Amino acid sequence: MRSPRRYAVATAGIGLALMVTACGSSSKTSSGVGPTTAEKDKKTVNIGAFNFTESAILAGIYEGALTDAGYNATVRPNLGSREVVAPALERGEIDLYPGYAATDLEFLNKGAGEATPDAQATTEKLRAALASKGGTALDPSPAVDANAFAVTKATADKYNLKKLSDLAPVAGQLKLGGPPECPTRPFCQVGLVNTYGANFKEFKPLDVGGPLTVAALKGGDIDVGLLKSTDGSIPANGFVVLEDDKHLQNADNVVPIIRTVTVDDKVRQTLNKVSGALTTQDLTQLNKQADVDKEDPEVLAKDWLKKHGF
Amino acid sequence: MQAGGLIAAADPWVRWDWVSRHTGTISAATRQHVELTVIAVAIGLAISFPLALVARRWTWASTPVLSATGILYTVPSLALFAMLVPWTGLSRTTAEIGLVGYTLLILIRNTVAGLDAVPDDVREAARGMGFTRRRQLWRIELPLAMPSIIAGVRIATVTTIGLVTVTALIGQGGLGRLILEGLIRNFRTPLVVGTVLSVILAVVADVSLIGLERLVTPWRRNRGRS
Amino acid sequence: MSFLGEVVQWFITAAHWQGTNGIPHRLYEHLVMSVVAMVAAGAVALPAGILLGHLNRMGGLIINLANVGRAVPSFAILVVAVQFVGIGALPAFCALVALAVPPMITNSFIGVRDVDPDVRESARGMGMTGRQVLGRVELPIAVPLVMAGVRTAAVEVVATATIAALVAWGGLGRYVIDGLAQRDFVQVFAGALLVACLAVFTEVSLAGVQRLLVPAGLRRQISDKNETFVAATPVVADR
Repeated sequence: MRSPRRYAVATAGIGLALMVTACGSSSKTSSGVGPTTAEKDKKTVNIGAFNFTESAILAGIYEGALTDAGYNATVRPNLGSREVVAPALERGEIDLYPGYAATDLEFLNKGAGEATPDAQATTEKLRAALASKGGTALDPSPAVDANAFAVTKATADKYNLKKLSDLAPVAGQLKLGGPPECPTRPFCQVGLVNTYGANFKEFKPLDVGGPLTVAALKGGDIDVGLLKSTDGSIPANGFVVLEDDKHLQNADNVVPIIRTVTVDDKVRQTLNKVSGALTTQDLTQLNKQADVDKEDPEVLAKDWLKKHGF
Repeated sequence: MQAGGLIAAADPWVRWDWVSRHTGTISAATRQHVELTVIAVAIGLAISFPLALVARRWTWASTPVLSATGILYTVPSLALFAMLVPWTGLSRTTAEIGLVGYTLLILIRNTVAGLDAVPDDVREAARGMGFTRRRQLWRIELPLAMPSIIAGVRIATVTTIGLVTVTALIGQGGLGRLILEGLIRNFRTPLVVGTVLSVILAVVADVSLIGLERLVTPWRRNRGRS
Repeated sequence: MSFLGEVVQWFITAAHWQGTNGIPHRLYEHLVMSVVAMVAAGAVALPAGILLGHLNRMGGLIINLANVGRAVPSFAILVVAVQFVGIGALPAFCALVALAVPPMITNSFIGVRDVDPDVRESARGMGMTGRQVLGRVELPIAVPLVMAGVRTAAVEVVATATIAALVAWGGLGRYVIDGLAQRDFVQVFAGALLVACLAVFTEVSLAGVQRLLVPAGLRRQISDKNETFVAATPVVADR
C-alpha cells in the first residue's frame, strides 16, 4: 500500500471537491441568481402545480407569460394533490395555480354537485366559492382535461363496453385503478358508484393517470383505469375511453386560480390571453411530448409560448 | 406483469442532453443530500458519544440504551419518518430526526466496543502513572478506540446516505428526488443519475473516512498492513 | 379529538379490517412477500456463504459485497427493478432478494471462516472429515453470526417492503404511501405503526430463534454476541 498519508489526503480531497462542486454550482439553480434592484421592484408571483406533468407545463406557461409581462414569476412544481395546493393558495404560499373549473369547484363545495358542462357558469360558481378563501378565478380556457375512464380494447370487446353505463352490470368483476384519492372524489369512484351504479370488485391506488396506471391497464392488473382525457398514452396504446353518457364529468376547463390580492389588470390580461390561446389539442400534444418523449415541462412551456407569440 | 407495460419505446438509460440542462437541479440535489447526511452523522455522534460513555460507566444503563436505539434502528425508515410527520411536518426536521435516530445504534455500539477493546495493561499503566479517569479517557482510551469509532462513523454515514433517498417521499430527498422522478415519469435518466451519484457519494464518503482513520491513528501505519 | 385519539379511532373502524385494503390482507401480503423473498435469498446466500467460508475462498469479494450492498440505496434498487420487470409484486420481490443476499452471505462467510483455528485443528485431529468439521463444529459455532445476518436481512426486507407500495404493490406500506398522497396523516401514522411493530416483532422473534439454535455449551461463551442488530460487519474492518 502506498503512503497512507498521501492516500488519506487524496481521498479527503476528493470528498471535499465533491462537496465544493455541489455547493458552488447550486447557486446557479433554476430559482435564479439573487435579485437585482430592478427585479426587486417587480411583483412576485409564485405559481404552484399539481403532481402531474400537464400541470407543470401549464404552470411553466403561466410563468413565462408573466415574466414577459414584467413580473417576477417562479414555479413551485409537484406540490401534490389538490389537498395540498388549495390550502397553499389560501395561506399565500403560492399565488396562482392552473386549476380545472369543475373539479376545483366540487372540491371547494365538498361535492355539492354544482358544476355543469357549461364552462362559464361553472367558473362563476367557482369564483363565488373561492371568494371566501381570498381567491378568484380568471377566464376559463377552451382547453379541457377531464377524467377519462379507459379500458383496453380487449376488455371493451370482451364485456361490450362503449359507455360508462355499460359498466354497471359487470363492474363487480372488474378492478378499478387510479390515484389514491379517487375513492373520495365525486368525479372519480364516488361518481361512478352514485351516477352509474358501478361497484367495482377492487380499487388499486396507483398514480394520477401516469405510467403506473398505464402499465397496470396494459398488464391486466386493473381493468378500468383513470387517465386524463388529454393523455397521450390513450391513442398510443389503443385504449378505449368509455363515453360519459350521464355527464358525470363537467366543465373541467383549465382556469387560472389566483389570490385576489395578486390580481391586477396586467396579470388578468396576460393570463386571459394565455387561456384564450390554449386548446385541448395543445394539451394532448404537450402531454405526449412530456410523457412519451420525456421532454422537459419547462422547455415545452417555453416552446408553446414562443409558438403563440408571447 | 409484463415489463413491456412500463418501458417506453426508446428511453435510453442516460440522456446526456437532459443531464447538461439539469446540472443545477442535480447539484442542488447532491448538495441537499450531503447536507442532510453530514448534519445527521454529526448530531448522531454528538448524542451517541455521551450515551456510550453512560452505557459503559453504569452497566444497568447499557441495556436500555442499546434496546432503545436498537428499536429505532429496526423500525423501517419510511415508518419512522411517517410517525414523526404529524408533529414535525413534511420538513427537514422530520428527516433529520429520523436520520439521526438511525445512526445512534451503530455509533454507540462501535464506540463502546472500541473503548472496551483498550487492553487492560494499558489502563493499568495509565493508572499507575497517576492519570485521572478523565485524562485516561481523553488521552488514552479515546485515541485507541478511534479505529472502531471511525468504522462506526463509516457504516453510519453510508447507511445514512442510502436513507436520505427515502426522505424524498416526505418532500426532502436530495438525490432521492431524482430517483422518485424516474419512477413517477417512468424516466430512466434521472433514475440513473440519482442512483449512480448516491453510490458515488457513499463510496467517496467511505474511502475518505478510511483515509481519516489512517490520519488519526499514526501508530498503526507501520504495522505492515497490506 | 386529539391526533392519537383519531389514530385509535382508525384502528377500531371495522371497514379498515375488511377487504383488499383491510389490515389483515395488507399484513398478509407484507408477510408473505417478506418470507418468500427471505427464503429465496437464503437458499442462495446461506449455502454459498457457509461453503465459501469453510473453504476460505473469495473472501475479498464477499466482504465487499456487503459494503457495496450498503452503498446502493434500497429505494433505488426498487425503482430500477421496475425498469426491468415492470410494476407490481415482481420488482418488489427482486429488490427484496437483492437486498437480503449481501448481509446473509457475508455474515455466514465470516462466521464460518473465523471459527478459532485451534478448534478446527482439534476437530481434524480427532479424525473428522471436512464435511464433519463443517457440520459438527464450524456451523454450530458460526450460528450467532449467521443468524445475525438473517436477522439483519429480514428487518431490511420488511422495511423495504414498506416502500414497495410505491410501485403498485400492496403491503402495509400502502397506508403510508396513500396516506401521504391524500394528506391523511392519521392513516399514515397508523400504517407506520403497523410496520414498525412488524419489524420489531421480526427482529425479536428471530433473536429468539437464534437463542434456540445455539448449543447450550457455546451459549455461555458467546453471550455477548446475542445482542440484536448489526453484528455482521467486523467492528474494525480488516484492510
